Amino acid sequence: MLQFILRRLFYLVPVWIGISLVAFLLANLAPGDPARLALQRALGRQPTSAETNAAREQMGLNASAPIQYLNWLGEALTGDLGLSYRTGKPVLESLAERFPTTLQIAGGGLLLAIAIAIPLGVLAAVYRRGPIDHLSRVVALLGAPMPSYWVAYLLILLFSVQLGMLPVAGSQTWQHAVMPALTLGIGGSASLMRLTRSETLETLNQDYIRTARAKGLHSRTLLIRHALRNTMIPISTVLGMRFAGMLGGAVIVETIFSWPGIGKLVVDAIFDRDYPMIQGFVIFMGTAFLLINLIVDIGYGLIDPRIRLGRM
Amino acid sequence: MGRTQHGMDRRQLLLATGVAGIAATIGKSAAAQDAPSGSIRVGVSEDGYRTDERANIGFFPLNTNIFESLTYLTPDYQIEPLLAESWEFVEPSTWRLTLRQGVSFHDGTPFNAEAVKYTMDRIAANGGGVMGIGEESNVIVDDFTIEITPTYVNMRMMEQIGHPNNSILPPGLNPAESRNGSGPFREVEYVAADHYTVEANPDYWGETGAGVGEITFQFYPDPTARLLALQAGDVDLIVDVPRQSASQVEAAGATLVRGPVGAYEAMYMNIHGVEPYDLGQDIAVREAVSIAIDRQQVIDGAWQGNAEPGTTMIPPAILGDSASLVSAPEFDPERARQVLEAAGWVEGAGGIREKDGRALNLTIINGYGTAADHGSVPELIQAQLSDIGIDLEIIQTPDTATYEQRLGVGEGDLWLEAGSQNDGNPAFLPELLFSSPEEGGDPEATAYGRAFATGEAFDTAITRSREATDIAEVQEAAAEAMNIVVNEERVVTPLCGFYRIIGHTDAVTTFDLHASGVNQRWTSLTLAE
Repeated sequence: MLQFILRRLFYLVPVWIGISLVAFLLANLAPGDPARLALQRALGRQPTSAETNAAREQMGLNASAPIQYLNWLGEALTGDLGLSYRTGKPVLESLAERFPTTLQIAGGGLLLAIAIAIPLGVLAAVYRRGPIDHLSRVVALLGAPMPSYWVAYLLILLFSVQLGMLPVAGSQTWQHAVMPALTLGIGGSASLMRLTRSETLETLNQDYIRTARAKGLHSRTLLIRHALRNTMIPISTVLGMRFAGMLGGAVIVETIFSWPGIGKLVVDAIFDRDYPMIQGFVIFMGTAFLLINLIVDIGYGLIDPRIRLGRM
Repeated sequence: MGRTQHGMDRRQLLLATGVAGIAATIGKSAAAQDAPSGSIRVGVSEDGYRTDERANIGFFPLNTNIFESLTYLTPDYQIEPLLAESWEFVEPSTWRLTLRQGVSFHDGTPFNAEAVKYTMDRIAANGGGVMGIGEESNVIVDDFTIEITPTYVNMRMMEQIGHPNNSILPPGLNPAESRNGSGPFREVEYVAADHYTVEANPDYWGETGAGVGEITFQFYPDPTARLLALQAGDVDLIVDVPRQSASQVEAAGATLVRGPVGAYEAMYMNIHGVEPYDLGQDIAVREAVSIAIDRQQVIDGAWQGNAEPGTTMIPPAILGDSASLVSAPEFDPERARQVLEAAGWVEGAGGIREKDGRALNLTIINGYGTAADHGSVPELIQAQLSDIGIDLEIIQTPDTATYEQRLGVGEGDLWLEAGSQNDGNPAFLPELLFSSPEEGGDPEATAYGRAFATGEAFDTAITRSREATDIAEVQEAAAEAMNIVVNEERVVTPLCGFYRIIGHTDAVTTFDLHASGVNQRWTSLTLAE
């Protein structure tokens, strides 16, 4: 197991370099002068040539692109991801500051998605074509196509405007996290519910389930101890991917709820051509994706001991 | 920015005016004022502060009135003394400022020339700004007198120096670390991207201090969420209500307040483009476009009536009495058709005009500030131009950087822009956008001039506006320059003058809305008992 984990962590190094190079090239290919854009934001007007030149010098943008990348890479290898062009703060500090806040709503959203989708998906499979199955289908049909901003506004109208239970936006108390997490959870639960249903149906039709049932095993034991464990393997893969997606793609939710997370940070960075922040984000999220996948892989072994990590 | 050439008649001592407005505060006792009571939450847009060497926490873009500038820009764009009591121009290029006495920063540090020098040196270290402040520009004469000599002869410095970005800091202060100003409010708490709380400064030097005990500015990047926060009672006042949904404020039982015009929306025609973007070189096409636009339809259709027909692309108030010298082209589609006919643009296939086998196809680029800032305006313009036989292709750029890159290479005929005026210099925007570009200048900095500059007559008027000593002459010259680009050369088609819109609940009794958001004074805010 340890060898497996170490090997997967070692893979991070070439992945880091590869994705940072791609991020650097993409950012540099995009039109716009980061110095000029940073100044426009700071000054609220078009900067003068003298101001732009001074800023370019400060940012190290007068060097050639390969030199800029190598300078950045050299510092990144020592753990320094540079300073944000937009805020002037160390990139790593900004990412470390913002990541836990995104983790809170993404984690909450994931738990909510699991709590809604898995029981409802399993029940829909067990009671196929019954009222619960129809209900789950309606919930999935309504939930899947609803854009997150629409869900967010509906939640605000209900919980803030009508009921006065939750604050519209902000990040100072646990109440502020409820609606962002709900928005992410509702968005994630629809497709997860359908997947759980189809996987459970498929498992319930397997020969070993039929055999166990013929032997007189109690249906609840059959479902929980035998069927669900097998169903959980593809579901855990999707859960891992969805969680990673929530971490990096919660920008709309973060903007509406004024939630200072990592998604909003990087979208602002893209608009401002904040190369260090974009590259830092890519590295950071690449690492997060790989670690989540690693956790999912380890989880396979726990769900099904027949899966041995060393051979994966 | 070119160096001003002065004749001898202009090289004379200039005594600045404007002491009268705040003269009553001179010699005012520094005794503590009665502390106002009550607190309010205000919904504002996103936290745009920087934390690097250009740190501007507390003063730009959200001005929480912790800091103050040397001059104050009134809502009708006049300059009044603030931390500077008076000023005079000393030949050949120096401004001598007499500073207000008896003013302290919140921690008790006295305000004096050293603070002004520290602030101006900080601006110099970051490139000098539009004022052209250099490392050697700032010389302390005595505790309350300082001389500032910009790197070029800058007759407009006192109109520029009141911009909140030039707010005065006590010596050694880094606003990224702490906020200690001289303003009517003191900082209580700043939580990045969440809120900013300030309280009344009971020791404020000015006559008009805070009218409320505490203000919490809550950041809402999403305008709809800001509106819902007002509806939910999370805040009692919101600024920058989206003009498309302003009616929802009243529908929610709150009060809607419209301020004076401080921002604009306008369309510029590329007059130096190469094929296929060279049709703007034809004055008949430019004239036809300018008179084919029904501003009122744009205002009603895109902005739900929450704007005024634009006459220039700067707030008319800044031109003073000279505002009447420039007016927007009158909507007259029939004449637009005649102008095109006379120029040889005859109706062709599908109703689109043609000349020498070339169809009258124009392209409009939408993306400044952002494409979303312009709502359905491009589509309305497209329909109006179609009515006179011009085919308009709409291109939305994903961000400002892409827009500017496209402008830099001249790929487009019409350019749709929105902007605002935040200092008292009437020549600032026209000079920035339409002056002839410097030979060999920075490509991005000269992009506007390479597309829109009309030449000598405009440049002469702008130079006159930049160099004049009398503010009425400054305004008159700026109006003349605007008239050239709007009515003579038809490069600028003004669309709308934007006023700021706020919404508030019954908790708010008074609030004077400033035309320029970054110059807002929160002292006028008072609450119901």
